[in-house]
Amino acid sequence: MGDDRIAWFCAYAPVELLLAAGLEPVRYFGDPSRIDDADALLHPAICPYVRACLAQAMQGSGPHHAVFVNSCDGMRRLYDAWKELFPEDFVFLLDLPRNAGKAGERVLAGEYRQLLAALRTFRGREITRDDLAAACREREELRRSYLRLAGEASGAARLRLAQSFQSPPGSAEGGGAAACAHPVAKAGREIPVLLTGNLLNPAGMVSLLEKAGARVVWADLCNGDRAFAASTLAEGESVEEIIGGLAAAYLERPPCARMLDAERRCRILAENARQAGASAVVYASLKFCDSYLYDFPRTRERLRREGIPVLRLESDYADGHAGQVLTRVEAFLEMIS
Amino acid sequence: MELLEQIKERYLDRLSPATFRSRLFWKTVEGLALSPLNRPHWKADRVSLAYFIRATRDAYLRRAPVVWCNLLVPSELVLGTGCIPFYPEMAAAVVASAGLAPRFIDHAAEEEFPSDACSYHRCMLGCAMEGFLPEPDLLLAVNYPCDSAPLSFGFASDLYGAPQFVLDVPLPGREDGMNLLAGQMAEAARTMAGLCGRTEREMMEGLSEAVELSNRALGHLRRVEEMRKRDDCTLDGDEAMGNVSVLAGCMGSPAGEEFYRLLAEELRERGSRGDSSLRIMWMHLKPWYSQAIFHLLREHGARLVCEEYTHATWEAMDPRDPLGSLAAKVGGHFLVGPVERRASHLVRLAEEYRVDGAIHYNHWGCRQSCGGAPLVKKALQRVGVPTLIIDGDCVDDREYQEGQVSTRLEAFLESLR
Repeated sequence: MGDDRIAWFCAYAPVELLLAAGLEPVRYFGDPSRIDDADALLHPAICPYVRACLAQAMQGSGPHHAVFVNSCDGMRRLYDAWKELFPEDFVFLLDLPRNAGKAGERVLAGEYRQLLAALRTFRGREITRDDLAAACREREELRRSYLRLAGEASGAARLRLAQSFQSPPGSAEGGGAAACAHPVAKAGREIPVLLTGNLLNPAGMVSLLEKAGARVVWADLCNGDRAFAASTLAEGESVEEIIGGLAAAYLERPPCARMLDAERRCRILAENARQAGASAVVYASLKFCDSYLYDFPRTRERLRREGIPVLRLESDYADGHAGQVLTRVEAFLEMIS
Repeated sequence: MELLEQIKERYLDRLSPATFRSRLFWKTVEGLALSPLNRPHWKADRVSLAYFIRATRDAYLRRAPVVWCNLLVPSELVLGTGCIPFYPEMAAAVVASAGLAPRFIDHAAEEEFPSDACSYHRCMLGCAMEGFLPEPDLLLAVNYPCDSAPLSFGFASDLYGAPQFVLDVPLPGREDGMNLLAGQMAEAARTMAGLCGRTEREMMEGLSEAVELSNRALGHLRRVEEMRKRDDCTLDGDEAMGNVSVLAGCMGSPAGEEFYRLLAEELRERGSRGDSSLRIMWMHLKPWYSQAIFHLLREHGARLVCEEYTHATWEAMDPRDPLGSLAAKVGGHFLVGPVERRASHLVRLAEEYRVDGAIHYNHWGCRQSCGGAPLVKKALQRVGVPTLIIDGDCVDDREYQEGQVSTRLEAFLESLR
């Protein structure tokens, strides 16, 4: 019997289409402790999340059917390595325009059409308007459940909760509300911060922030709140209408730094920081992520103009060397408190 | 003495952003380029040098609107609209050749562009922040070959207050993909033509003319490629690699046609070399600041017979449909999409040029090339081409470990004998 599970990696993956095809989408978070296992296929100067995912797959843990988004060089290279490792599995690369707006929506809707066609062939069945509508409703309910549960959670617990909502409840990755039950030793005082970046390890950098006295009230990360911040609920009378709506909704969500409209991204960041009562922004990203490497200097300038202090941190995903980072965070919090 | 050394000696210590905006400076540079002191190895190099000096001078002196482009932006698109294309990645290579890259890379580091990013772009950003690059009126990037250009151009767009345009090249084989790309190119072309005050009709005429010139250059380039496949070809890869600037930045100009015409002619005239060197293919680009690797190759009886980026990767275009043709040129490039396309291109080159081995120069921070290197190596090994991967940096000489590179290279060349 075939595996109904399908892996996804990037927050721009249209999980609704996978659900509509009767698949069980599982988001990979990789194995940060085995990153070097990926060396044979991926250079060490590639995103550690990407390498951790490949390492996890090489261990045989997690599904091998997979949908990749062509969102960055790292993801495209992961797709290449995956195809090499698992040539018999369903492996699809979905394009993602940098331009939003009508032109971008048209391109993305075309990509969804391609993915649907590939899924139909793979599953040997039609994917109807009703399948898609039901999948969209399911995702929206899940998003609302997360926001309800995450209301009071912060830091690592919030991030774990977000991760658990990105995979089915029964899977190793999906843990639902139980994911909150990982206590982190906290400092005596807590300063609310907004955390922004790509994808961080809840057991690593995020726990460290808490330990230093930061309370992460909004995690603008692609494994955190960003995926739940805006609805992707699309409605329509036909498959075409729904995928058009989905394309628009995905491009409307708070953007990753790889998208073209940096001004909009900064505006959303500043608004979220104010709404969440954050005193500062911690800009933390994984090494070798070009999208965030190049974005930081101008985002910092924009946030400073808004009067928001910014701290830059970098993570190798395993986050084994904590001492220096802890000192920097403590000094920063001291400065803004 | 090489022209670059002449310029270095006369001007380096006194370089300032104002220098590049001085007519006297450019007059002197042009004089040096024409002087008997400048003796390029190939007649064609005189043509490309004159072209780039003129275009760069005009960009600094703002004689027409300036459009920053990354490597895959077809120069025909910009030249055809009347704008001046300026390729900052090439500028970074020139800065590295002059031994000046560390200064600008350090400046970029002060602005928190860390060493994990591509040094072409860090160098370019450092130059921009110090005011050494010509101000763009528009920044135009293709979303390939790598993420760095659309992202670093974003920073530069803020720095100069100039708009940025990104062409989203669709994945190969996508239905309607080329029409969508042609549509984006049309929008970019209209913006550029608008900067020059050209009408739609003038723009289309300019683009058609640029495509015609490009086609003529392509014809000569094909002849060059055929001659380079011969055992006795006298053009080695370390020299040919510089031609990547012509392939990216001169197509669509009379200089592009003249360059390849002269090169083909001179290759035919120079005739036989008749040695039994090991034939090596070079992948990615070279360290611009040092010739040490190439000396070592020669010492060991090896020479570069082909390189990844200096070959024609498109078919002759239709001047009646310049935008559709340019979309096909960019969209069909082997660096667009999955790595298997790049690997196929390299396997084809390896076979056509009958190489004994291949070297992949891993430029630190380049996710598209380093990232795909292990899979490219596998593909080449499947067709029996031994492949060496060397870690290094094309722009920052401080990241170049000469001893380590020599040891690995020597061992590799020994194994090919």
